[in-house]
Amino acid sequence: MADLPKDTDILVIGAGIAGLCSALYLARAGRTVAVVERGEPWGDASGANAGTLSLQVKRPEVLHITRRAIELWQDFKADFGIDVGFGRPGGLRVATNAREVDMLRHSQAEQRTLGIEVEWLDGNRLRDTAPWLGPTVLAATWCDWDSYSSPLQAGRALIDGARRDGVAVIGGAAVTAIAKETKGYRVTTALGVIACNTLVIAAGAWSGEVAAILGVTLPVSADVNMLSVTEPAPHLIDKVVTHIGGILSLKQYPNGTCLIGGGWQGQGGLASGRKEIDHEQLMHNFRVAIGVVPALANLRLVRSWSGFEGVAADALPLFGPLPGRPAAYVNACARGGYSQGPALGLLMAELISAGRTSLPMERFYPARFAS
Amino acid sequence: MIDTDLAIIGAGAAGLAAATEAVEHGLTVTIADDNPRAGGQYFRQPPLPFRRNGQSWFDKEATRANALFDVLGHPKVTHIPDAVVWNLPEPNVLAVAAGDRSTRVRAGAIVVATGAHDRPVPFPGWTLPGVITAGGAQNLLKGNRMVPGRRIVVAGNGPLLFVVGASLVRAGVDVAAIVEAAPVNARLTAALPGLLAAPKLLRQAIDYRWTLLRAGVPVRTGMTAVAAHGEENVNAVSIAPIDGEGRIDRNRIERVDCDALVVGFGLTPSVELMRLIGCDLDFHPARGGWLPRRSTGFETSVPGVFAAGDGAAIGGVEIALLEGRLAALEAAVRLGRARDASVRRAALTHKLARIDRFRRAIERLFAAPCHYLDLLADDTVVCRCEEVTAGELKMRGREAWTSMVQLKSTTRLAMGRCQGRNCMATLASLVAQSMGEPIAKLAYPRTRPPARPIALGDLLHEPIAPPELPADPHLPRGQKVT
Repeated sequence: MADLPKDTDILVIGAGIAGLCSALYLARAGRTVAVVERGEPWGDASGANAGTLSLQVKRPEVLHITRRAIELWQDFKADFGIDVGFGRPGGLRVATNAREVDMLRHSQAEQRTLGIEVEWLDGNRLRDTAPWLGPTVLAATWCDWDSYSSPLQAGRALIDGARRDGVAVIGGAAVTAIAKETKGYRVTTALGVIACNTLVIAAGAWSGEVAAILGVTLPVSADVNMLSVTEPAPHLIDKVVTHIGGILSLKQYPNGTCLIGGGWQGQGGLASGRKEIDHEQLMHNFRVAIGVVPALANLRLVRSWSGFEGVAADALPLFGPLPGRPAAYVNACARGGYSQGPALGLLMAELISAGRTSLPMERFYPARFAS
Repeated sequence: MIDTDLAIIGAGAAGLAAATEAVEHGLTVTIADDNPRAGGQYFRQPPLPFRRNGQSWFDKEATRANALFDVLGHPKVTHIPDAVVWNLPEPNVLAVAAGDRSTRVRAGAIVVATGAHDRPVPFPGWTLPGVITAGGAQNLLKGNRMVPGRRIVVAGNGPLLFVVGASLVRAGVDVAAIVEAAPVNARLTAALPGLLAAPKLLRQAIDYRWTLLRAGVPVRTGMTAVAAHGEENVNAVSIAPIDGEGRIDRNRIERVDCDALVVGFGLTPSVELMRLIGCDLDFHPARGGWLPRRSTGFETSVPGVFAAGDGAAIGGVEIALLEGRLAALEAAVRLGRARDASVRRAALTHKLARIDRFRRAIERLFAAPCHYLDLLADDTVVCRCEEVTAGELKMRGREAWTSMVQLKSTTRLAMGRCQGRNCMATLASLVAQSMGEPIAKLAYPRTRPPARPIALGDLLHEPIAPPELPADPHLPRGQKVT
């Protein structure tokens, strides 16, 4: 276990996808970075999520961030020697009734105006593309950007990669106090005190708590997303599958296991720390999944679990300077933050190093919530 | 949804005894079991349409078994075979996956009688075809009247080796050797008073031993199998003596030819469902590992949830039968339905105490004489689902030896379809050894549903109301902060 340094140029709070990617690109820009994490690095939302990197399911506001992120996910191996278990089979976003078909048409048109092309598939073309789809699927849009990575593999690789690039990644270092110094901050953690010039809050669902230590209110709450994995099976589902209603994410990994999610909510919350399976919601999740891919009915369920996902009041990323707190930034709570993570990390490195970003990010600044 | 006074999980000795007791107190009973036919391991029945004929040596328990099965025909008893209790939608509701009979059971009280499985002990060659567990070999014999080979070595630790060995002899197999790790002969005198507490059981044990003796089967005590050899199938086993300090003497390895190896290092209670329910567990290696903490009335730390038989602590069939009775009796008391409970309780408890003396003597006789981690080689597969070897584990887990949870996510160990049944015990031993902590102190990774793997299609049959879907799929969903 690494020791907590006495000081660092940049201190990132949170060793999930946002924190580690911020650290990685800041280190690449020549900065000295430490990442402190309250629990195990990668131990919360990033480690518990579905690993889906779908472009076409994203809100219009974050489409370009996500596209950039998928490029970066793809390049992790070449850029950093980091194997995140990336695959880019492309994805199908399905509609199963007339209302959903309308929604899908509308979404396709909207994405086109933003310069993102997805292809409409129905009838025989849809069946030829994905013969494993069930009869309830009336149409789908095809997006060749849609990808996946393995959260387990990615976590291990990103932590190792960050450390190789000189980043101190330290678990079990919950932040209890932050004091403003003449230059930078003095941060007290469970493992001791660390001084820094610049602070990045990347604590996901807990970012509200951390910002509160600095006296800043961030409107953050947590979803309790449930996920399930099946036993390994012969390869069948050769694309990432999502749903226009936002109620399904599905893919089959190279090891043959199928991962089933879709944002169905478990029970619990941040305050209690509980994240339990909600039986009813889980059953709904399976029914939707089997409706879309009937062959799933023959597979055995091995494990269901749930994880917190931090979400801002408007479900958009919290990215940018913390209002009224110089040299303090937030990078957290992007809905679908796992897929956007590398881009948000790169953009944070740009913002801190150069004071500007290669994509327009002002609309995501936490100042939008300042009353 | 089935409403029942008492839900019993497992239709083996303990579960059937619990059902029998429960109906005597007028309780309605729902008993779910993962086998197509009731009986569990000890009273295992052949698959339909085969029947016991009561003639062969393997049917010697037919009378007692049939008496137990009678309860399944009782009008107050619902038997759900081929069923997996996989989740608890509510604290007193069980989700039962059983194909198109899948349902939920709302229960006044619950008796968990899930039985035990073979304790997996990895050693070089343990994954070779032809290597089978002692429990597996017994299942083949009892359920299918099949034997795993013609010339068989039975190796490991524990009384089951002698039972399996004798059964194989009766089935006409050439048993090449029984290799028992514990120095049982040296311990016999000290154990004798305890063994005499249950003369019938002792007679049975002598019968097993006599069967082996008559057949001229070499019984090698104080020795362990250290490797199974072969290419496509096991063809020999290396065995080595264990010295007084528990060290395996690899300079005195002997090789025994065989075409099958039966290994048994004792049983471990199947406690997954109790972990899911949230019952507190303690670590007692002599009783099989992690066990639910129980009151004198066999109630777990979760009120209304009782545990009985080998699923709660390894004790064998006689103890399971009595515990099943007692647990159901206490459940009936809890439900306000038992009359004269104290007399009944006293009679059952008295019998149990006697057999418990026998059980403790057997435990002392067979106490494990060496550390099973010493059997691991670097290329020994520890996790069969994810194919993780001991060497890989040591390398990849180097930074993560501080917790089982972290080691699990670093190595993918215990994430496969066995849900950790084949590897968690080894993982726990490794982490404990590396941390210098007793296993009892380790934080066990959280158990998530399903308690056992279930076909997703089964779940389509459980009736549920349609979901309320969010209007905008991108907006935060309704929060259920509890």
